[in-house]
Amino acid sequence: MARTTVVPLGPQHPVLVEPIHLRFEVEEEVVVGLTPQIGYNHRGIEKLMENDWKKNNFLSERVCGICSHQHSTAYTQAVERVMGIEPPERALLIRTILMELQRIHSHLLIIGLEADAIGYENLLMQCWRDREIVMRIVELISGNRVHYSMNQVGGVRRDIDDAKVKEIESALAKFDERFADLDAIMRKDPTWVKRLKGIGVLTRQQAWDLGAVGPVARASGVDYDVRSTRAHPFCAYHMLKSFKPVVREDGDTWSRMMCRMEELWVTQKMIRECLGLLKPGPITVEVRGHPNGQAWSRVEASRGELVYFVKGSGKPALDRVKIRTPTFANIPPLVPMLMGCQVADIPPIVTAIDPCICCTDR
Amino acid sequence: MSMLTNSLKNLFSKPATRLYPYEEADIQRDCRGRIEYDMSKCIWCMMCSRRCPVFAIESDKAAQTHKVFRMRCIACGACVEACPTDAISMRQHYQEPGYAPIIDSYKQEGAPPKPAKKERAEAPAGPKA
Repeated sequence: MARTTVVPLGPQHPVLVEPIHLRFEVEEEVVVGLTPQIGYNHRGIEKLMENDWKKNNFLSERVCGICSHQHSTAYTQAVERVMGIEPPERALLIRTILMELQRIHSHLLIIGLEADAIGYENLLMQCWRDREIVMRIVELISGNRVHYSMNQVGGVRRDIDDAKVKEIESALAKFDERFADLDAIMRKDPTWVKRLKGIGVLTRQQAWDLGAVGPVARASGVDYDVRSTRAHPFCAYHMLKSFKPVVREDGDTWSRMMCRMEELWVTQKMIRECLGLLKPGPITVEVRGHPNGQAWSRVEASRGELVYFVKGSGKPALDRVKIRTPTFANIPPLVPMLMGCQVADIPPIVTAIDPCICCTDR
Repeated sequence: MSMLTNSLKNLFSKPATRLYPYEEADIQRDCRGRIEYDMSKCIWCMMCSRRCPVFAIESDKAAQTHKVFRMRCIACGACVEACPTDAISMRQHYQEPGYAPIIDSYKQEGAPPKPAKKERAEAPAGPKA
């Protein structure tokens, strides 16, 4: 009879990009049990947010370095809902453009990291080189490369002028070739396909039961994208015609990555449509008073649904801010994904959920 | 097959990175760099130090000085927007790294200028604490 061995992975381990502790029970080379444990990166941001609501905008960006604008949009939206503010259309479009640019660089990053997890460093370097194009566009729009500081309650802080629109369009045109290249590699390259196809399968029922979000859920056939919900429209997604959620059926690691690749194409179209929809107008509205009441808001971050809850009582300091990040919802689905897989397949499967433990622990 | 062509193309093309300290960094035109004070315009409304989310500005009205803690600054630009007289601007350059905390002090010589009434009305209202 095979003996069960316990293999601890993390919180510090070369294959993990961020600190999560995974306790594997292994029989020979096959995983038979898994206990994930989080909390190694707790920084107390929710407590820090019980502070001046205007300054929290900058703090909410610091929750995550990759989806910084999406965090700040979710926070701003929640405060706007409490105060009953409708931001102008141009501000919503600029927010959407940044959200989608961030999605491009986040997806390119995780495709690169997945390539690194299977030892395909050539692809990693290519993805990260292409990512630089987006970083330059966001620096052009906002002035910063990582933490854009673009949102404020009532609108955005910087405008996009016509010269910038042209520069963004010409930079986006570069992606036609780059994405076609990446798409072909991810579909056909034997190193990539053989290593990732059929491992870490998550069925539709499991994804639904365990509450998976984002590309993890959509790759398993769950059509769940906050951008397509008409009940709670956010940013300018309800105006866009080019948006349709990418859903795949297989639920394995390869289709999770392909789901992200196809989203890159959709995202690029959406940014172009947003740039075309920009009409001259104000980018912010005047805000008076302090938030009094409570509201929640959600956005589709690159990794999935991101939820913010804000409660204020008419004072400058907020009473409570609660953040539910997409990776937190995607850790339970890791257990059925990794059950029965080979030990050597652990790094690509864990990386394919796009874990951001930094967000999760806040 | 396409990865092979890519690799060969990359092998014979010039590097995608630049040798940074020896070559100029390629900074976009509206970059948020380090903040600079034009002390002749400052009217001591203290909005900059009140709005700063990271307490990087210490203003002393009696001594007429603004102290800027460079390592704390997150280049968000809140002070630039809060300033009613446009006394603060952002340099188009990143903050240089250092071995010790860099603290810059800006001192005003003589009496501060009289605030214009119109500009004051435009200043965003701070928290009514």
